[in-house]
Amino acid sequence: MNTEARLQRAKDALAPFTRETFAPETNRLDVVIDAGDLTKATAAMLAADCGYLSAITGLDLGVEAGYMEALYHFCDAAAVTSLRVRLSREGQPEIDSVADQVPVASFYERELSEMLGVTVVGTPDPTHLFLPDDWPDGVFPNRRDFKIEDAAPVERDVPKIPEQGRMGNKFIVPIGPQHPALKEPGHFEFAVDGEIITGARMRLGYVHRGIEKATEQRNWIQNLYLLERICGICSHTHTSAYAMGVEKLAQVEVSPRALAIRELIAGMERIHSHLLWLGVVAHEAGFDTLFMYSWRDRETIMNLLEEITGNRVNYSISVLGGVKQDIGPAESKSIHKAMDYLEERIRYYLDIVSTDAMFLQRTRGIGTMTRDEAILYGALGPTARASGLVRDVRLDSPYGAYKHFPISIVTDERGDLEAKFAVRLKELLVTCFTIRTLVDNLPAGDLTVRFPRKVPAGETVSRVEAPRGEAFYFIKSEGGESPTRIKIRTPSLCNWTSVLNKAVGHQLADMPMMISGMDPCFSCNDRMVTVRRKNGSQTMSWFDLRAYGIEKYKSR
Amino acid sequence: MITTPNFINKVVTGITTWARVNSPWIIHFNSGSCNGCDIEILATLTPYYDIERFGIKLKGSPRHADILVCTGPVTRQARERLLRVYEQMPEPKFVVAVGSCGISGGTFAGCYNVVGHIDEVLPVDAYIPGCPPRPEAIIDGVVKLLNHLKEGTRPQPIRPEIGDHA
Ligand code: SF4
Repeated sequence: MNTEARLQRAKDALAPFTRETFAPETNRLDVVIDAGDLTKATAAMLAADCGYLSAITGLDLGVEAGYMEALYHFCDAAAVTSLRVRLSREGQPEIDSVADQVPVASFYERELSEMLGVTVVGTPDPTHLFLPDDWPDGVFPNRRDFKIEDAAPVERDVPKIPEQGRMGNKFIVPIGPQHPALKEPGHFEFAVDGEIITGARMRLGYVHRGIEKATEQRNWIQNLYLLERICGICSHTHTSAYAMGVEKLAQVEVSPRALAIRELIAGMERIHSHLLWLGVVAHEAGFDTLFMYSWRDRETIMNLLEEITGNRVNYSISVLGGVKQDIGPAESKSIHKAMDYLEERIRYYLDIVSTDAMFLQRTRGIGTMTRDEAILYGALGPTARASGLVRDVRLDSPYGAYKHFPISIVTDERGDLEAKFAVRLKELLVTCFTIRTLVDNLPAGDLTVRFPRKVPAGETVSRVEAPRGEAFYFIKSEGGESPTRIKIRTPSLCNWTSVLNKAVGHQLADMPMMISGMDPCFSCNDRMVTVRRKNGSQTMSWFDLRAYGIEKYKSR
Repeated sequence: MITTPNFINKVVTGITTWARVNSPWIIHFNSGSCNGCDIEILATLTPYYDIERFGIKLKGSPRHADILVCTGPVTRQARERLLRVYEQMPEPKFVVAVGSCGISGGTFAGCYNVVGHIDEVLPVDAYIPGCPPRPEAIIDGVVKLLNHLKEGTRPQPIRPEIGDHA
């Protein structure tokens, strides 16, 4: 089915609710609907199989316009259908929750309500997701008239973080927000009944800095460097997604060579990210040898990135209109050499994770997610592909050089942790192959083209496959030197739903592996975890919990 | 550091300093960084850079740690946590700020959820600049701190000048 047919299908499904439609780009359809019809429209979209809810953008059109919009973006391969719901800026705008149909929407709705000040009626958890607990009421950062002075902390009597405690005959185990082996902090609460988890909640926002708002105060070029620093692991993903979107808005054609170099760096980023993940999960399983091995081998790719771009982490290779550095014969030689080494190592790791009996005990049949569950929870990237759900922007909606250098997709039907290892490691082999093809067949062309300082007014959606799944960007320009709104939805946010839902019924001892199994972008660098034992309660740190998990499996 | 004329005290101080210099345990706290610095810190612990040869070990609990390694600007939500981790550490404790964000707020200076840089919240003993600093730079910073510990002094870092860029 081609994109037009897909858009037509969505158009037909939405016909009863449609107020107005626009087709801002060839692969997009915007449908204005009434707030009251949202749940019905969502149901119609899902029933007609018109894709998955990828993000919700809250857009304030300013005091003059007098209204705001909530955009529900549904992605169906390359087609993006956005339901636009108009909301009044005055009073207390309300919108119905769609979280009962799309579980992952509960995160988006929490974000929408705290950032834009929309009350989402019926959302399962209306508390803050990103903003601090001492945030004043009635101040919403994504409103145009937001002033930083208004956001001064207020004294509030909320328990900062529920430390530990009982809920009926259940016990709440808080984990987070600090862990040395991982990245950003997050906070989790698991309700446990003995060893078994019966409920899970999470709180983010420990690393929420307010980047979306900050983009509005910086110009188009500065934003490239700001967005690169959303995540030090997939920095290139963010610059590519942003550059691609802005180039689309400015109607600048980037040379094929620059696009190919971007894909090349994206491949190398994927290798470094997956090897990092392999190490971290192996560490959680108590297999530190594998952790050290994979991080040692990861240095090969870090050195390569440094050789090509000059930086190890924030590569800054993309600029608006192209890339900064070229790949010469010397670089291609080192790339081939590094790939030789890495391919051999990856085969070795693949062998270990699929044959080592001890390791398989920790991974086989743990956290199994079926394909239907993956669809329901809106899983993305390798987490979805390990459940047999083919969801990959590089395949669904080939962008940049992926049109000419397609990749092959690795999937697995099993859906457990073992499958996640298999998918990620095989993906590495595929990536190595793609990188070799790219360096051998780099198209000719200039590295950069001229890029205007002001970007014409318009809106665009740009989607890129990050190592962890689809990254979604919505960019709006009003013709100025800086963007009006940039909405970013990173893949980890979607995958959380799947982990939190899958946690229920598992043993607490499996949690460290399951959480890192989806490769979250969080650092849970803490602290006190209380586990209820028969002989009363006992306090554990995340480290002890990990050790406890390892111990438990050893003694079986 | 403690100085008493007492001979036994002198010996004990010598031993503790020796132990401290040879096994400084660190705890790492991310108070709002982009992960860039964090993965570089982790990379220094792994075989290629191998900071463990200085006896440095990453600990999970603040109560075991001598050095607090901080990354990132301090966000409103993380501020209280950062202070708490610091308070839980036993004396004498040292703070190392890694990365431009931790030093000045970096790219995130002026964002609405950022309280500021690390030394607005904690006393910092060493600054390691870079975005992110290379693992070699991190090792260099830590070794400089260790040299101070050996002499029994607290480092007097030159506070980086912060321009009015926010
Ligand atoms: S200094 Fe740079 S790499 Fe380090 S946390 Fe800040 S933005 Fe990330």
